[in-house]
Amino acid sequence: MSPDPGDLPGDLAPLFEASADLQSDAIRATGVSLAELPEAPQRVAPGEGASDDELAENRAFALEHRRSLERSLSRAGILGVAGGGALVTLLASAASASSSADVQMLQTAASIETLAVGTYGTALTLPYIGGASANGVVKKFCQVTMAQHAQHRAAFNSAVRRLGGKEQTKPDPAFVPVVNKAVSGLSGATASAGMLGVIALALELENVAAETYVNDVSNLKNANAKRVTASIMGVEAQHAAVLRAVQALLQANAPQLVTLSASNVASLPSAAGSVGFPDAFYPTSAAAPRAQGAVK
Amino acid sequence: MRAPRFNLPVSEEEIARRTTELDELHHDVAMPSLRTSLEEWTDDLRSASMRTTDRRSFLLGAGGVLAGGAALVAISTTPGLAAAAGRAGSGASSSNPPNARGGIRGLSGDLAVAALAASLENLAVYAYSAGISAASAGKLGPVPPAVVTFATTAKSQHMDHAAAWNALLTASKKKAVTVTEPVLTPTVQKAFAKVTDIAGLAELALTLENTAAQTYQVESTRLHAKRAIATAATIQPVEMQHAAILYFVLGKYPGTQDSSGSPLAFNPTSLAVS
Repeated sequence: MSPDPGDLPGDLAPLFEASADLQSDAIRATGVSLAELPEAPQRVAPGEGASDDELAENRAFALEHRRSLERSLSRAGILGVAGGGALVTLLASAASASSSADVQMLQTAASIETLAVGTYGTALTLPYIGGASANGVVKKFCQVTMAQHAQHRAAFNSAVRRLGGKEQTKPDPAFVPVVNKAVSGLSGATASAGMLGVIALALELENVAAETYVNDVSNLKNANAKRVTASIMGVEAQHAAVLRAVQALLQANAPQLVTLSASNVASLPSAAGSVGFPDAFYPTSAAAPRAQGAVK
Repeated sequence: MRAPRFNLPVSEEEIARRTTELDELHHDVAMPSLRTSLEEWTDDLRSASMRTTDRRSFLLGAGGVLAGGAALVAISTTPGLAAAAGRAGSGASSSNPPNARGGIRGLSGDLAVAALAASLENLAVYAYSAGISAASAGKLGPVPPAVVTFATTAKSQHMDHAAAWNALLTASKKKAVTVTEPVLTPTVQKAFAKVTDIAGLAELALTLENTAAQTYQVESTRLHAKRAIATAATIQPVEMQHAAILYFVLGKYPGTQDSSGSPLAFNPTSLAVS
């Protein structure tokens, strides 16, 4: 279940190797047994590919998310700046649809993870995220989170293979133009605006991932595929919680409070205690449609 | 050493109000997992085979604890809770025999899971309420404002979670669960008695949050009724978000991790109650 090394920047290779062992331990601890997934391919019933309705749903979803993200990034002040993005090549060809419902959901999940890996990887090339002057907590968070998304993708693709489907290695097509535009904007942003832009983009992707997997847990039929997804959805929600907290501290011009120290809590503003979890029940309105990132 | 109180710091009226609100919120677009009507939930239950699970064994085991023993008897004999146990769930049909001890016994299948979940949420509400009371009384040293906000918000969300499960139970003509989870309660009682500062309280809360999240994670793959699965699946990430902020408050890496503090990409289930 190793991720493609090509998706990891060179300086992350040791981090990933170290986390690979942890990953194995964690998988064992979850009780997830990918080996227990049925080897026989699931029969694809006629009409289980992307229907016209699903395609329309996908388009509507992509449009809504483009608008949502553009609102977020506009607030961060990073849209409209010209320039290239390292993701452009990675995202040049996007995933599209077909196969059984479980396989489609797992492929879509893998496509979201690919997008997340690419996004964090690109962010880490920016000096204020991955450079020597970057905030240490933000840098470590991006490194660890990127490695975790690579592990998630590997787990989803392993589940896909076990169900007889094709691995999904391409990013979710609904977000490709969104991320490309955001990354283009980041290249010309100031450090403070750029950090907020990266966080806004990452937060959007983490919420899409978490909400999609919350939905998937209700809809997946295969028990082990469901277990894999359930072990990941909360991790993405934690990423979102951390991003929300960091975003709030940066917006309050308190970057010095983005640090890991037990004594730091005394200095945190009151709102920092709850900004990370705004909903008592995790929403699903941003969940990706089942076949959105499926292999055609 | 403080003598912890084990009556839930939530009145019966408050539980009933939250449950009613959750009934209403089933029609609210803000709660996707509960968007459909309670009738749909009961239809799901009827169509699903009502398995006799190890959960049932667990609950029968819990009954043994209740009959013989320590902490939950103390809870149940506390006037407020004992009364709540006898009267809660007013929406239930009087023709149905009431569940003993606050609604947690005599259930199986998805309903048993709902009762377990409600009792876990009650335990979290108890712990946060006790912590807030101790902090307000100056027993935990200086209390940062962010910790107060965290505890009050997390407590409120756990009350919402308990109400969601109780709404499912009462929709199935069962009693709402008004007691704390019986197996963990003595452990929490002992742990809370040793808490002397905010860090200790945060560690205890972290254990409860991780226990709840891991329990939901396991149960979301075992439940049969779609509404029950969705309820578990929409709560699990929120408990994990609580845990992430608690890690941050404690100065640790803000995500699920092993005992040495190394981040984990997949949430474990070793703490799940089963």
